[in-house]
Amino acid sequence: MGVAHKLNDDLGAVCTYRDALHRSMHDAMTRDPNVVILGQGVDDHKGTFGSTLGLAEEFGAGRVMDTPLAEEGMTGIAVGAALNGLYPIQTHIRVDFALLAMNQIVNLAAKYRYMFGGRFEVPMLVRMIIGRSWGQGAQHSQSLQSMFAHVPGLLVLAPASADAILQTYPWIIEHHRGPVISLEHRLLYDVNFRVGAEAAATGDTPLGARVVRRGGAATVVATSIMVLEALRAADHLAQHAGIEIEVIDLNCVSHPDTRVIMESVERTGRLLVADTSWKAYGVCAEICRIVCERMPMALTAPVVTLGMAPAPCPTAKVLEDEFYPNLRRLTQELATLVLGREGRDVPLPDDASMADVYKRFKGPF
Amino acid sequence: MNLTREQLLVSYRTMRMIRSFEEKLDELVTAGKLGGFLHLYAGQEAVAAGVCRQLDERDYVSTTHRGHGHCIAKGVRVKAMMAELFGRQTGVCKGKGGSMHIADLDAGMLGANGIVGAGIPLATGAALTCKTKRTGGVAIAFFGDGASNQGQFHESLNMASNWKLPAVYVVENNGWGEFTPTAFVVPVADIAVRATSYGMRSDIADGNDFFDVYEKAGQAIEAARSGQGPTLLECKTYRYYGHYVGDPLNYRSRAEADEWKTERDALVRFETRTVGDGHVESSELRRIDTEVTDELEAAVSEAERDPLPDPAAVLEDVYGQE
Repeated sequence: MGVAHKLNDDLGAVCTYRDALHRSMHDAMTRDPNVVILGQGVDDHKGTFGSTLGLAEEFGAGRVMDTPLAEEGMTGIAVGAALNGLYPIQTHIRVDFALLAMNQIVNLAAKYRYMFGGRFEVPMLVRMIIGRSWGQGAQHSQSLQSMFAHVPGLLVLAPASADAILQTYPWIIEHHRGPVISLEHRLLYDVNFRVGAEAAATGDTPLGARVVRRGGAATVVATSIMVLEALRAADHLAQHAGIEIEVIDLNCVSHPDTRVIMESVERTGRLLVADTSWKAYGVCAEICRIVCERMPMALTAPVVTLGMAPAPCPTAKVLEDEFYPNLRRLTQELATLVLGREGRDVPLPDDASMADVYKRFKGPF
Repeated sequence: MNLTREQLLVSYRTMRMIRSFEEKLDELVTAGKLGGFLHLYAGQEAVAAGVCRQLDERDYVSTTHRGHGHCIAKGVRVKAMMAELFGRQTGVCKGKGGSMHIADLDAGMLGANGIVGAGIPLATGAALTCKTKRTGGVAIAFFGDGASNQGQFHESLNMASNWKLPAVYVVENNGWGEFTPTAFVVPVADIAVRATSYGMRSDIADGNDFFDVYEKAGQAIEAARSGQGPTLLECKTYRYYGHYVGDPLNYRSRAEADEWKTERDALVRFETRTVGDGHVESSELRRIDTEVTDELEAAVSEAERDPLPDPAAVLEDVYGQE
């Protein structure tokens, strides 16, 4: 398919998550005159953290529309526009504000085709950015993917790399006729990725999970930035304990790629799920359900899950570092999962704060 | 009056169909032949008929839980609506929407919605599409007095006015939000004044007078079509039945309802004026009454015989299941 061609062209190139977003926005606007971008500040000097910068100048204010803080109304306007031939891309610079639009997303967009017997299509993309690091706190940093993924009719993505964006965004905009929610992690925006480096999804669409690192000792199913943390933990363990961990980037949260997950778990017998959100009723719980319903006997050890502490996000740095799963904890859990008690003797990496790492470290991954 | 005799007869037929459709539903539910959660539009016919008479195939409407009237006035097939209410495969939404969720994009009908106020931004978005694609179309949001307290109403009016969208917001003030008098929850006598905050034109029509609605909707639609932006049109009217079929109506006085049903009835007033002015014969209206009754009887008996949906269809049309 066309996406694969493009990736081959770019193989070896390096770009940031932000660049990938900007390119996918720009390409969508160029390819299809019905694509419009709606969101707070999409045309300002910051341009949605750079991902929409310059698009209003190039495509005009009629297609790149700055909107007021009126999330529910604006989402309804996007749904109404999508029903009649536009492809709206709506942006929320913080996921948390999308809660104000839940009525339109859950009660209308998700149900519009089904409820009316297939008479309507609501092709639209809602980009929601997960905030992170000091000061964002309880109301500006939530990872709410499971709330959306719970609702039939919504397609929920959590792209973990530039490749994931460059492969999935053009595809959904061109082919998927329903509403898509994509949760982009703010800490990833500045990270560099080798384009074409990540294995593409193996299914018929680019939505599926990606095996981003091969290994036989244990399977990590991770979302968003936790994929990078899992890769770092896996590299550390390979170096310091001779353990090879398999890492799967889940990519699509709402329709998890059970084939890829089960194939890996059957082979490794050990599973750790690392999500950016709370564990209860979320991705961690859902991946466990998938394994338990299909082949619990494949597991040779209890599943381990990692997520945010079951509390709102605090702002004091010492509390925030405790709140988020960090590389040390992830490495420790993996070492113990594979080696049992002996895993406690494996030396751990120093990094206790994920936010600090990604402010300093820019890749490339 | 700039309507031809033919147009007058069609307008009467629309109103009569809405009234008889709702009366038929009430009768069916009371007789135990039909279930579901039904909100009847009877009493407000002049609004749907008067506004939609000004529309053409480029235009869109969105409506509410009390949406049968707007569907009929915008041209959704009565037979398919009846089948939908009976939960049949042949229903306009294949039996998945029911009374509160009837829609037909082919007729420019963007959907009834069970969530109060949710259709207002949808029509606004349709108006955005009309403007962006330069289709010449306009979008009408029909909603009630209760919805004018919703954030979505205010958010939509603000943006529509700011963007000068070809939209008309038709608020049907029927005096009651569920079981609460409008005056208990709306601190202004006229909802139309809410347009002022958004720099939007507004107008007030007698919602039980087809001709007043027709004329004022026409002005608003013309303004929208010619790029002058949206209008908030308040139509003062009355809901004949309760909030839903089965509502005991023990919260409003019989005298209040009787006054509307006798003195101000939209169909009676239409007939008095058109026959009185010599535009149509009352015998023509009686002929329409009979035709409507026959069509509804046929729709009911067909719907009763139509096939039920295939149970396997429960998963059909969910995004992402294909």
